[in-house]
This record gives sequence, structure tokens and C-alpha cells, in this order.
Amino acid sequence: MADSELAPLFAPFFSFAGIASAMVFGAGGAAYGTAKSGIGIAGVGTFRPDLIMKSLIPVVMSGIIAVYGLVISVLIVGDIRPDQQQSLYKGCMHLAAGLSVGLSGLAAGYTIGVVGDAGVRAYMQQSRVYVGMILILIFGEVLGLYGLIVGLILNSKS
Amino acid sequence: MSARRPHGQSYADVTAQPAQAADSDTTPAVPADVIYKLLAFTAAMAIGPIGVYFLTVNSVFGGNSTYAGITAAVVANLVLFGYIYVAWLEDQGDRQVAEQAKSKKAQ
Repeated sequence: MADSELAPLFAPFFSFAGIASAMVFGAGGAAYGTAKSGIGIAGVGTFRPDLIMKSLIPVVMSGIIAVYGLVISVLIVGDIRPDQQQSLYKGCMHLAAGLSVGLSGLAAGYTIGVVGDAGVRAYMQQSRVYVGMILILIFGEVLGLYGLIVGLILNSKS
Repeated sequence: MSARRPHGQSYADVTAQPAQAADSDTTPAVPADVIYKLLAFTAAMAIGPIGVYFLTVNSVFGGNSTYAGITAAVVANLVLFGYIYVAWLEDQGDRQVAEQAKSKKAQ
């Protein structure tokens, strides 16, 4: 394969960096969200075991953040061909898609963790907090969804 | 001092006796249907979105992976809203049981 200015040999590096960063940062955010809200759920469950089922919602939302990273990683992997020469443009596009999903997933996971911890503890004492907690969690999770949308649009520009 | 063993019995005598099995509660603290619900949602979260992606990418969308990715994200959110709905139903059921117990007490 000939090396050219528009398609240098190191171009696939950026694609793989995008895949790894989407998965690593997204899973990091999901892990923080799961762990931090899990602390709150364990604290609530010792006093009000009947609330555990409803308090698990931040954990489910953190799982969705990881699914976003998984989806964009699979999409980028499907776009890579080892037998073709890849342009630097495509590599940078993959890196942008992966970073946008991964870092916005990190932000969303951090939000879900903090809100989930404080929210379930407040819900233990005041049941009207529940609807507000769900809304804040959804708005936090939408941050990750925006990253996924931008990543999908970027990935369709090849 | 109420925990002292009766007179005339050594420690070895007490430990040699079989444990009293009469009033120990062995029913699990979490009912089985809740466990099955959580297992179902775990499985749906683990294989649902990515399974739908690979199912639809070639058969429905003809290789357009962007639409398949959107579908996978939608499925993940459907699982979330399904979980919120089930948790809400469970809360309603708990409330009805509590109200029934309260009305029985009033009688």
C-alpha cells in the first residue's frame, strides 16, 4: 500500500482510538453512575426495603450509557476495512464520533451517579421527590443521547 | 443473664444438641417474581439493543448502520421505560396491600 498525503499509513490509528475512547469513557461514566447510586440504594434499602425496586432506576440508566458506547463502537468497527487504504479524514471522523459519545457518556454517568445517590435518599423521606428525580435523571441521560446522535451523524459523513 | 444456659448442662451438652428447627424462617426475603423480573430486565439490557442492531442492520435497513444504531438506542430506552412502568405498578400493588391491611385493622 502506497503512503499518500490524504491517506497516510497511521490513519487507522485514529479509528481505533475512537472505538477505544467511546467504550472506555462511556463505561467509566456508567461505572461511576452505578457505583455512586448503588451506595445510595444500599443506604435506602436498610431502612425501606420496599423502595429498592423503584430506586434501581439510576442503575438501569447507567447501563444505557454503556450501551451507547457499545453501539457507536460497533458502528465504527463496521466501517473499518483492513484491506483498503483509509483516509485521514475518515480516521479523524471516527475519533470525533468516539470521543463525543464517550465523553458525553462520562458526563451523563457522573450526573446520574450524583443525582441517583441524593435522589433515592431524599425519596426515602419524601415520596413526592420521585417524579422530580426521574425527570432529572432523564435530562442527565439525554446528555449521553445527544453525544450518540452527534456520533451517528458524524459516522454517516464518510 | 437470661441468655445463660440451664443448670447442670455443660457447654459440650448444649452444642451437641441439634439446633432447634421449629421457628426458623427460611422463606427468601425477596419474592421469586421480583427476582425473575430483575433477571428479565438484566437480560433485556444485555442482549436487547445490540441484538436488535445485528438483527436489523442487514435485514431491515439494508446495511445502513446509522438507522440500526438509532434503533438500538431506542430499544435501550424502551427497556428503561418498561422498568419504570414495572416499578410504578409494583408501588401501586404495595399501596393497595397496605390499604387493605389498614381497613382490616379498623374493623
